Amino acid sequence: MRMKKFLNDPKNVVRELLEGYVLAYPDKVKLSGTGTVVRVAPKASGKVRLVTIGGSGHEPGLSGFVGKGMLDVSVAGEIFAAPGAPKCVDALRDACKGGSSALLIVLNHAGDVLSADISMEMAQREKLPVKIVLTEEDISGPVGDRRGLVGCVAVYKVAGAAAELGASLDECAEIAQRMADNMRTLAVAVRTATHPATGHPIFELGDDEMEIGMGQHGEAGTGRMTLKSADETAKIMLEKLLDDLGAKEGDELLVLLNGAGATTLMELFLIFRRVAQLLEIRKIKLVRSAIGEFITTQEQAGFQMMIARMDPELIRLWDEPADAPFFARP
Amino acid sequence: MKECVSRTELGRMFAEAAQLIRSQNEILSQLDSQCGDGDHGTTMMRAMEILEGAIGSSPNERSLSETLHQAGWSVMGVDGGASSALLGSFIGGMGGTELGGAADCAALAKSLEAGLQSVQKRTKARPGDKTMMDALVPAVEAFGAAAASGKSMSEAMNDAAAAAEAGAASTRNLVARHGRAKYLGDKTLGCPDAGATSMALLFRGFSAALATTKES
Repeated sequence: MRMKKFLNDPKNVVRELLEGYVLAYPDKVKLSGTGTVVRVAPKASGKVRLVTIGGSGHEPGLSGFVGKGMLDVSVAGEIFAAPGAPKCVDALRDACKGGSSALLIVLNHAGDVLSADISMEMAQREKLPVKIVLTEEDISGPVGDRRGLVGCVAVYKVAGAAAELGASLDECAEIAQRMADNMRTLAVAVRTATHPATGHPIFELGDDEMEIGMGQHGEAGTGRMTLKSADETAKIMLEKLLDDLGAKEGDELLVLLNGAGATTLMELFLIFRRVAQLLEIRKIKLVRSAIGEFITTQEQAGFQMMIARMDPELIRLWDEPADAPFFARP
Repeated sequence: MKECVSRTELGRMFAEAAQLIRSQNEILSQLDSQCGDGDHGTTMMRAMEILEGAIGSSPNERSLSETLHQAGWSVMGVDGGASSALLGSFIGGMGGTELGGAADCAALAKSLEAGLQSVQKRTKARPGDKTMMDALVPAVEAFGAAAASGKSMSEAMNDAAAAAEAGAASTRNLVARHGRAKYLGDKTLGCPDAGATSMALLFRGFSAALATTKES
């Protein structure tokens, strides 16, 4: 597959996309240094600041969730590559200015975790009030070694709401961890994407194939099969997720569908329809949902299905107002 | 007559390695695209450019330890994911031993060992997992063994480069057990690991620089 993208010099793509992003939402977000997105109107000092780090090329993730009720800071790396530790440490230092503390939310990927570990060491040496929560909900890997996928958005949402309401660092970390522990995600891909810097496809997939377990960067998964219908695909994925979560009758679930970049909303609605039907048959309550493109992988076709077991407090925090450019609720 | 590496030689080592990696960057990216997202060559080229600059422009009065430490931190700022963070840990970690203004073979061996330890602290990957460690670990060990047996600096670095190359070549027959590639399982058989290959190029570059700057 030949790359067809509107680009300038590929070397500048991250800088240019971030510049464009903050120009598009000047009342909400701005750049701080190179590659760090912050709120235009910072939180009151003393409240916990939420910081996340991650590679670019997944727009609107992750910087699209900087805003009231969600993230305070997003440190962006190069395409599909974690930001370096020096930038992350600077972001933590800035977040802790004026008597605030910071919760660092990190998706479990080797580079991100490396930068986060180095940054946390530095922060602790400087006695900054910082805690870290790792999201690792991709059930295609073994427990203890799972990738962080779109579930981070739910963590940003509930921990962000708690921070906005004045919760302490320990409380915010506990809520973030509870959300992280109760969510499960599985991804599927049907068509590859091209890497904007190299122009090459990031994986190969046959015309009539789909692959379950696809990573956020197009890392191939392990469940390759012939392309199935929307109903069949929804069933295969939902059953794996419910099984892994140990969901049972009466549980209350949040379901989030995340388009990978080239899958239509039409398809996502077909998938969601079947998910809702299957949950009803199993007498599992679908209490909240979100559908759209949250964390993409360029023009990859496919989606991530995330389910999370909610409790009354998580639901209440999910319902709190948010005003980020790519996640808003009144 | 004792061979020593001063800031000038160190600068030349990194310049040679950067040059070598630049010339091979497309091959590195190609290897990476078989098991990863295909950007390893680009990342390593940027990382080496930063290293070359940081070491080349480091003031002469600064100790080698401090120079390496600063260079490691700079390369961590490259946003190159795990590759640049680990390379930064290795180079920065090399500054963890006291080197003063110049290092002899034994001091450089200790410094390389310290660099390796700082990488091992950051990653669970070990030789056999099909990662950069398959080249880095034997290279550092070979240098240490050569230094202990009284070989010259250039001989020791040549041994290290040869060990790194053998280690990188061995990854062809390994299944990835770490990093993004591990999700591919058996599909990673048959192609050498990009990270191990770039470590071999790093040590080959070091070796080439030392071979042409024999002490007079």
